[in-house]
Order: sequence, then structure tokens, then C-alpha cells
Amino acid sequence: MLSGLIRGKVALFIKIALVALSTAVLLTLSQSAFAKGEYVIAGFLFIVILLINYTYFSKRTVPLKFFLPGIILLAAFVLTPILYTLVMSTYNYKTGNYISKEEALSRIQALALEPDANASAFDIVVGEFQSTPAILVSDINNNSYFISTPKEKIALDATKVEIDEYQVAQSAEGFTALESGDISSSAAAKKRYFFDGTYFIVVENLNVGAVFRQSLEYLPEQDVFRSLITGDIYRDNNNGNYVNENNQDDFLEPGWRDPSWLTNYIRLFNDERVRDPLISVFIWTVVFATLTVLTQFAFGLLLALALNKPIRGRRIYRSILVLPYAMPSVMSILIWGGMFNTEFGAINEILGRDIAWFQDPTFARVAVILVNLWLGFPYFYLVSSGSLQAIPSELLEAAAIDGANPRQIFRKVTLPLLLQILSPLLIASFAFNFNNFNLIYLLTGGGPRNQLDGEIAGATDILISYTYQIAFGNNLQDLGLASAISVLIFFLVASISLYGVRKSKVLESFS
Amino acid sequence: MKQKFFKGFAVAAVAALAAGLAVTPAQANKNIVVWADETRGPNLVKTLAAKSDWVSGYTITVKSFANFDALKDAIDKATATTGPDIVVGANDWVATLAKNGKLAPLTLTASQRARFSASQFYDLSYKKKLYGIPVDVNNVAMIYNTKLVTTAPKTFGDMVDYYKANKTSKSLKAGLCVAGGGMSWGAHSVFSALGANAYYFNSNGAINKSQSFNPNEFGRNVKQYLMDGKKSNGFFPATDTGCKDNFLAGTVPFAIIGNWEWEDYKAKGFTMNLMPVPGVKAGDPGKAFGSVSGALLTTFAASNGVEAAAKSLLVDFFGSTAGQVAYQKFEKRPPAEKGAASDASVTDGQKGFGASAAAASVPQVGAILNGASGSKSYWDSAPAYWTAVLVDGKDAVTEAKKLAAIWRTNLRGAANDI
Repeated sequence: MLSGLIRGKVALFIKIALVALSTAVLLTLSQSAFAKGEYVIAGFLFIVILLINYTYFSKRTVPLKFFLPGIILLAAFVLTPILYTLVMSTYNYKTGNYISKEEALSRIQALALEPDANASAFDIVVGEFQSTPAILVSDINNNSYFISTPKEKIALDATKVEIDEYQVAQSAEGFTALESGDISSSAAAKKRYFFDGTYFIVVENLNVGAVFRQSLEYLPEQDVFRSLITGDIYRDNNNGNYVNENNQDDFLEPGWRDPSWLTNYIRLFNDERVRDPLISVFIWTVVFATLTVLTQFAFGLLLALALNKPIRGRRIYRSILVLPYAMPSVMSILIWGGMFNTEFGAINEILGRDIAWFQDPTFARVAVILVNLWLGFPYFYLVSSGSLQAIPSELLEAAAIDGANPRQIFRKVTLPLLLQILSPLLIASFAFNFNNFNLIYLLTGGGPRNQLDGEIAGATDILISYTYQIAFGNNLQDLGLASAISVLIFFLVASISLYGVRKSKVLESFS
Repeated sequence: MKQKFFKGFAVAAVAALAAGLAVTPAQANKNIVVWADETRGPNLVKTLAAKSDWVSGYTITVKSFANFDALKDAIDKATATTGPDIVVGANDWVATLAKNGKLAPLTLTASQRARFSASQFYDLSYKKKLYGIPVDVNNVAMIYNTKLVTTAPKTFGDMVDYYKANKTSKSLKAGLCVAGGGMSWGAHSVFSALGANAYYFNSNGAINKSQSFNPNEFGRNVKQYLMDGKKSNGFFPATDTGCKDNFLAGTVPFAIIGNWEWEDYKAKGFTMNLMPVPGVKAGDPGKAFGSVSGALLTTFAASNGVEAAAKSLLVDFFGSTAGQVAYQKFEKRPPAEKGAASDASVTDGQKGFGASAAAASVPQVGAILNGASGSKSYWDSAPAYWTAVLVDGKDAVTEAKKLAAIWRTNLRGAANDI
């Protein structure tokens, strides 16, 4: 009925309206990205606009009309982050090496100002003198006044300047003050005004000028900085910093994110401060994911088998068992965190013990597995229940007629058939738990870790939470190294998933 | 078909343009953008609503963030086109943001500097350059429950003795706990009271770059006052969990609280009896971090064309008596500026915390505390000590030696930055 109405010119109008709306929104976003210097994003959005218009106004692209939204979202939110992470893993990208080299050069030059011995600063008025940017300076301590231009300093007779109640000169003959609101963006605000040949005055704020000298000069031909005070040369060390040739500990800040190619990957294997915790974290990640899948599957299957029999109140039991799955996991994890609290937790109250669940590595790991069991068993209960019902009853009856007891039937018939059906889900669950960041972050924060012995990784840290710890866990972030570990995790999880797909022969079933 | 495609595209393009796309010509920027958190932001808005002409010829826009972490995250990710001109943030952001090229230095005249205590500039400096104006003092002080304790304790031992004597009869859950500032920042006064300062100062006020605490003495004090054999005696919990609730419920007699929460304690009936944590000897109290929040100048102010105006706002509003009095009327923290701190309008809470800070405080030097040359920063290693000793039952002296080694290495690592 509805499809009958939306045809012909109405359909064409709706199509044009929707495409126009998409184009308008994307064009606005593209323009905004372009204005903010995000040229890659702007370019991507523009290509998307062209693709949308081509796809929906061409008759050659019928299949693409259905796939295009998915392809665009896949490219924007899956492929791009993977590529970005891959690129960043080849950079020295960490605290202190955060911005581009151009920005770093600009910052170093802006910081290369040294105040005079007295840190002198004067009241000033910014304006023009003889059509040249100039400042009218009041040296109140010495009761002197002068006009300073970028090239000269012109002393003024105190009687010929107009001063306010604080003895600050407000105007002088030939000097035109700028309006306050025009100063910041004016060329005059960015000039260096003559002071004494070595030192110059810069506009510090709308009313104050401060005396500085240049402490470094940049020599672009050699790409080095030279100290104008000591003569030291600071050279690009090809790792994101200008370093003093005579003292490797002396470097200029800020640094920049510099390509370091495979350095971060090499660190994973060569730097014992990174490698040793990484190995222990990797082992625990595998153990955690394996135990999680086994316990969740075993418990879920047990319940499914129990409730597969016609017992009274089965529907109520089934509803109750699904509740942990229906509750947001974040809430569940935080509640479990409170229940495991050493001083006030319900679990210690029930046990009558004073167990430091999150301070002891073994107890913390047990707590993590238990909480994850709570979170995950309903899923396996549901899929096991469904799968059990899918097993033909004739097979079970035939086994029974052949003399098999219930245990043998389960071991030789039910379980193999179940595993055949559930293998892809078990492998997917393993891959999911390999990256189960929420649980670890919210429950233990990766701890406990013995900070005083210099441990970086905590006892319950899995690869992804360890990566987060390196990237964002403290004041000194190492995003390049964290990206390298992320790429490693990506290949591990991708391998597991691929193995799962092959094992379950999903691809073959499509062919 | 080609014709149809181009026709359609033309219609869509015209419709898109009709949707309102317009490129406005660039104009000189006369607006200063300030970023602040969920409390400071709205309070700045109220202050600026009452008086807005702090910088002649410029308007001021305040953007508030949902919380402090969201603000930190935003400033970390800010770019030249998105970043603010000024951000009101924590002092311990300074070193990291300066290293990452997000902050720009400013120069104060002698009279502007004189408005603040010299130690407050430590907090906002990195490599001898100043990056912001101290806005308000953040500190902790110890409060005691007068329903339980009638006279102020003179020594740390007095508090422990009270706890041991009344633990059972008054169902005390702890003796002293940290309700504000956490087990590293808030607990420094306990470290200090027992003999472990994060760093020490020479007589000329400069940081002593080689002195660290005596781990044997500190470890012995921890054993004497906080331990019962190899176990914690329960006087000082290793975490701050539940501290405030327990103190308010009358099951903890002494608590270290933050000045930002004073109004809450006052509303629950507590009167002013703030004091520093007493030391092991009378008259030698533990020093709390007396840090300041800063209005920090960003490098984006220059790219936005308002650097000089933003610096004027910093000096004439954030750093002036009039500006801080007007702002603290809403924010109710102890003002950092001397004139504002002594103004008749400041509350008893602001004065009480100010007095406690004056009695025993140590400036918070981010370059040392954030550094991790010794494998862990102060922030990570301090709570780890309490856990190792009070929870895990490790030897207090042995762990103190590890702690001292970490802090000493961090101090050396920061020597060039302070």
C-alpha cells in the first residue's frame, strides 16, 4: 500500500530531498573541517558527497545503493582508526613529543626570550608614531618616558606627555594610541620595540611591555638552533627533539612527534621494562579469556541442561537466570566492586573474613573471573538452551536404545553436537574477553600492582588495559608505544577470529 | 542517464546551498574564550554577568565542562582552531601541558607578583617560566569531631592514644582518615607529620635538590604509630573509602578534609576547628600541599589573535583583588591573591583553611611530583606505600627505603625543570 504511494515523482522528490539533506549536512561538516585545517576529514567527507550523489542518481549502481551507508560507516569508524593507530605506532608520540615539528619550531622560537636581570616591565600604550607601530613607555621608577619603535627609542620630556593619576603616560605629541579592542590582533602587538640594542620590549598585555633578549636563533639551512648566550648548537636528534651537541641531557622543549618507524615494535621485544610486563600480561590475558569462556560455558550449559527438563516453575527460573544479562554490565561491575570491598563488602561480611580482594594478586584474579562468570553465564545459558533444543531427539533415543547411560549420551552425543554448533560463539567469546577492558578497568583498574617495586603492569591487567595504562594511565603518556601494542592485539584477535571463522566453516557455507 | 545524474546532482547541490551554507569573511577577534570545569565555569559566568568590562574592548566567553576530567581531556585534545585562550585548571597540569606546547608563558611586573606569595608561583611554573595566575588555594586541613574530642591534639601520639583508648567503647572505625584529596595529595600531611616530606627547602626558600626524607626514621614512626606488630593498628586506613561518611557518623574522630567541601561539613553542623595534622613532636605539624588552581594562558590565544588581551584578563581579573573577591563570592574557595584573601567578604571556611595553610604547608611542585624518573611518580608511589605497609603487612622501614629512593630519583630528574 505504502510502496504503492511512494512511486514516480513522489519517490523522486523524496530521494532528491534526502540526498540534498545529506549533501547539505556533509558539505557543512566538510567546510567546517576544512576551516579547522582538518583537510583529510574534509576530503573524505567531500568524496562521500560525490559517492552518495553518484550512487543514488545513477542506474548502474543498484547494489551499491544498499551497501553504501555501511561501507561509509565501516571506512569512517573501523578502517580509519585502524590505519591511524598503525601510523601512530611508527611515531615517537608521547608526552613532550605531541605536536608537529612546525608547531614545535614556532613554540621554541616563542619561548626563546630571556628577561633582563631585573625582569623589567613598563606601563605602555600601544599605537603609532609617524605611521610606524610604536609604544609609549612609562618608566615610572625613573620618572622617564619614551616612545619606542622597532628601530629606535625616542626620549620624551616628562612635561610634554599627558599622564594619569598613576604617573602613566597616556598620550604624547605625534603618538596615536590604538583602541584597546584593536591592539591584540594588530601588527603593533607582535613587534619587538627597541630598548638598548641587546634587549627589546615586547607587548606583554594591553598595558604592559616587558624587556627581553633573544636567547636562541634558528638556522633553517642547517635545521639547528644556536644559543645566542652560550653558543651551543641544538641539533635535530631524529627522535623529535633538538639536543645540545655538547650535552645530550640538554634538549629544547617542546619536542615533536617524529617518525620512529619500527622503534616502538622493537621496544616491545628489546626493552625489558616493556617486554617483561608485556609477557606476563599476555599470559594472564590468555588465561583470563580461556577461564572466562570455560566457566561461563560450563555454568551456562549446566543450567541449560537442568532447565531442559520439564520442571515446575521453569519459566520463572529462566527469567531470573537472564536477569544478570539484562542489567547494564557497568552497574553490575561497580556493585560487585563494592561487594568485594575489604572493609565494608558483603562478601567478607558473609565469609566472616577480612580478605583484601583487590590488594592480593590471586584474590583479585579470582574476583575478576567470578564477576565475569556472573556477567557472562546467562548468554551461554541462552545459546545452550537453544542449541539443546535443536539436537534431534531421535539421536538421543537411539543412543539410549543402544544401551548408553545418560552420562555417555551427554559425552558422546550431546556435547559434540553442541560444540559443533557453539564453537564459533566460544571463539568469539574468547576474542571478546581478550579485549574485555570494561571489566578490568571498572573492577580492579588492572591492579594490584606493586608500585614501589616499579611494576608497570598490575596483576589483573590484560593487554588492552595495560595499553590504556601506557597511553593514558599517568602523566607521562606514550601513545606511540600504546599504538604498537594495539596493533599487536589487533593481529592476535584478528587471527583468533579468522581461526574461528575457518573452524566453523562459516565462509564455506556461504559459497 | 548521465544527464539525469548531473540534473540530480545540480538539484541536490542547489538545495544544499539553499540550506544555508555561507562563508563569512574573517574579522578581528575581540572575544576571549575561557574554559573551566562544572563549578568554576558557572561561577565565572555569574561573576562576569555582574561586571563584564574587565578588558576594555573585549568580550569574554566562558565554556563549562561536565567535570574536571572532561576539561582536562578537552585541553589535551585542543587544537589551534578549537582551543581556548585561557583554561582554569589544576597546577599539576602545567608541566605536561607546557611540555606539549599547549601553554604560553606570561611575565608579571614586580607589583603584580607582589600580590601573591612567592611559593604560589612554583605551582604554575615550568623551567623557570610562569604559565598562569594563581586563582584559588586548594588545600586540606585536619578537622576533629568535638563531640568525641574536646581539646585539640598536640602531637600525633595524642591522636593515636585517644583512638586506642576509645576504639571499643565508642565503636571507632579508624582514628584519622583522609576524606579529601586522596591518599597521595591529601595524605602528604600524614607523611610529613611522620617525617617524610616529598621535598625540602633551603633557608633561602629554594628547593633542596639533594635532600630526601630519612626512611629509617619515617619507617620507625609508621611502625610506632600506625602498626600493631605486622598489622595495621586501624588508626589510619590505607584508603579514603568511606572516610567522610564515617567521620560525619561519629565513628572517626579526626579527618583530613578539602577546603572545597567545607560548606558541606558546615551544613552538617561542624564548626571551625581546622588545624594541621600534628607531628610526632608538639609544634612540628605535618605540611599539607598548599596548591593553587591557576588561570593558564594557552598558546591558542596567540593563534586566535587575542594573546595580549588574554594576558590583560589574567592580570586585571584573575590576578586582581577586585576580580578574585568578585569571583570567590560565588566560588567560595580561599582566594590566592593577598588582597582578596584578607577581604572582609571571605568566609570563615576560607579563612580557616587559609590559616591552616599558613601554619603548615608546602608548595606543590608539579615538575617533581609528576616526574617518574624513579619509575613511579609521587602520585602513584605514595598510596602504594600505605597499601604495602598497612594492607599487605610489608616492613615499614624496607618499604620506606624504596619510597625514598623513588622520590630522590624523581627529585634529581626534575632538577633542571625547577
